Amino acid sequence: MDSEGLEKEIEELKLQEKKGDVHAYAQGQLQITSFSELVNDVCLHFQIIRFPKQIYVWIGYNSVKLGHMYAAAPTRPNNVVSVTSILGGASDNTGSGIAHRLVLKTGLNIILACNIPKNSPMLQTEAEKILIQKLISLGYTKSRLGGTTL
Amino acid sequence: MNTNSTTKFPVSQLDFSLEIKGNETEIVISSYEDHFMVIATQIGAMGTVLYARKEEGVSINATFNVSVIFGKRDEPMLVACARQLIEHVSVSGSSKPLVLSLGLKDHSAETLKGIISAVIDNRMW
Repeated sequence: MDSEGLEKEIEELKLQEKKGDVHAYAQGQLQITSFSELVNDVCLHFQIIRFPKQIYVWIGYNSVKLGHMYAAAPTRPNNVVSVTSILGGASDNTGSGIAHRLVLKTGLNIILACNIPKNSPMLQTEAEKILIQKLISLGYTKSRLGGTTL
Repeated sequence: MNTNSTTKFPVSQLDFSLEIKGNETEIVISSYEDHFMVIATQIGAMGTVLYARKEEGVSINATFNVSVIFGKRDEPMLVACARQLIEHVSVSGSSKPLVLSLGLKDHSAETLKGIISAVIDNRMW
């Protein structure tokens, strides 16, 4: 591979970092990652706090309100995923589906706060996609072969 | 396309750790538009989640509503901790409710006082 090609790739990498504007820092056992993304004229904010055995996620849609909060975890029997609303909302709101799938992907307990309005499936899908991609890049998801990454 | 690379993340966050009664305690404080969130953990998880808010009312003396929304409901010290913090929030002039998450190894008064003073010293309200 020639050096010019390499340089160009490094430039692209740097640009991608700036676009995402990710703030990430780790102190002690916790890792906090926060970033915003513009999606179809809508600003989505993500705050991810990684505990050793749990992940807290906040998804903000345009505003900085906390939204509804859900807790989800693998439970008995057979580690089936259970979700419950713990603040505001009912079990059919946007966040509960996302929380459910986050447990499936990470195998960890999840607390999710999300203010995406009800009845916006496209937005929900988009937000979830971005979030999952970020979790994968951070190494928080289970490997495809099974087993949990810690 | 958002080209402003100096945009600050809209949620103000503070993360620090300290030792309380021999237990390493990590505290995260976040300020959202309509809530404060405080997480204090010694066990590597969020633990019990409480919700505390100031009641709207006409009387001069503020009243508060504190409840456990997830986790241990039989630890009165956790509720007392949330109650102290929401009162401090209110006295400091904010009426935003508080979501408090406590994942603690011991629920002694000393530990909770340590958490309260650490949070107040680094408060975002």
